[in-house]
Amino acid sequence: MKKTTLIIALGMMTGAAFAQKKTTTSAAVNFDATTSLDALPKAENKTVVAAIDTKAGTVAFEAVVKSFSFGNPMMQEHFNGPKWMDSEKFPKASFKGNITNLPAVNFATDGNYKASIEGDLTLHGVTKPVKTTAVITVNGGAVTAKSDFTINAADYGLSDSGGKVAKEPKISVVAELK
Amino acid sequence: MSDSNSVKKSHIRKILIIGITLLIVCAGAAWYIFTNSFSDTSREKADYTFNALDLIKEFQQDDKASNKKYAEQIITVNGSVTEIEQADTTVNIKMADTSTGSYIIFAFQQQDVVNAKKIKQGDSISIKGSCSGGVYSDILSTEFITFKRCSINQ
Repeated sequence: MKKTTLIIALGMMTGAAFAQKKTTTSAAVNFDATTSLDALPKAENKTVVAAIDTKAGTVAFEAVVKSFSFGNPMMQEHFNGPKWMDSEKFPKASFKGNITNLPAVNFATDGNYKASIEGDLTLHGVTKPVKTTAVITVNGGAVTAKSDFTINAADYGLSDSGGKVAKEPKISVVAELK
Repeated sequence: MSDSNSVKKSHIRKILIIGITLLIVCAGAAWYIFTNSFSDTSREKADYTFNALDLIKEFQQDDKASNKKYAEQIITVNGSVTEIEQADTTVNIKMADTSTGSYIIFAFQQQDVVNAKKIKQGDSISIKGSCSGGVYSDILSTEFITFKRCSINQ
């Protein structure tokens, strides 16, 4: 009886460690639209919600736009203003996608894996397809995903402010999911 | 003739002085705007003070109205820590309504990270920060409210 209980308990613990859906409410997303003319448009959001389904290979992110924190008050205002993210109208940015080479990522074995991600990014009320790669690190049931990509600001109706802001801002994502 | 030349020179001198003064003032204003940074939140006066659960309730009822009222305002939130989460090189602290899963999450200004790392789950604390607003998470099926540039009230 004791042996059976122990086996069941171990099985449940293993199951929990390799739970299919892993989430975090503290993913970090960096936004960098700096140019040689302006070093100010750079911000970080450290309270992004992220989820990964290791069986289905789906990934999702949600960010409160006003949570992108700039050092400069004027830049904070411009970023959220009606000529840019218009965050009063569009308070949330989101991504929904899939790992397209799922068999290449072994979530059951510790290691580093290169994942191809495709999905839809919604910014400023506009949804566009995005393709990128990510490095997925599996360590004792926890999954860390890191990805860097650029977006075309004009695709999302975002102005380049006369060349002062990068036409293709860089986005960097780090998420530690459990 | 020499009188009118003197008057003309005097006019030109006045215009130049006004012009240069305006240029200096504008340059100074531009320099201030571009080099200005947010001040230490611990020294900022809070626009509102809330119990965590009351703030969550208000956002749950109408997050559009709450965002309009509270976004970018400095708010002090008092409550119990339900979770501490690693966030890149820092930590975030969460206060949640455990009955619904809706939560407030606080990201700290650099000078408060050391103190934030000392906080433990279950601690009753007071945090002051800039409210970024709240949205409904389709991923978690809950409302979440985020704060940035937070400091811990001692």
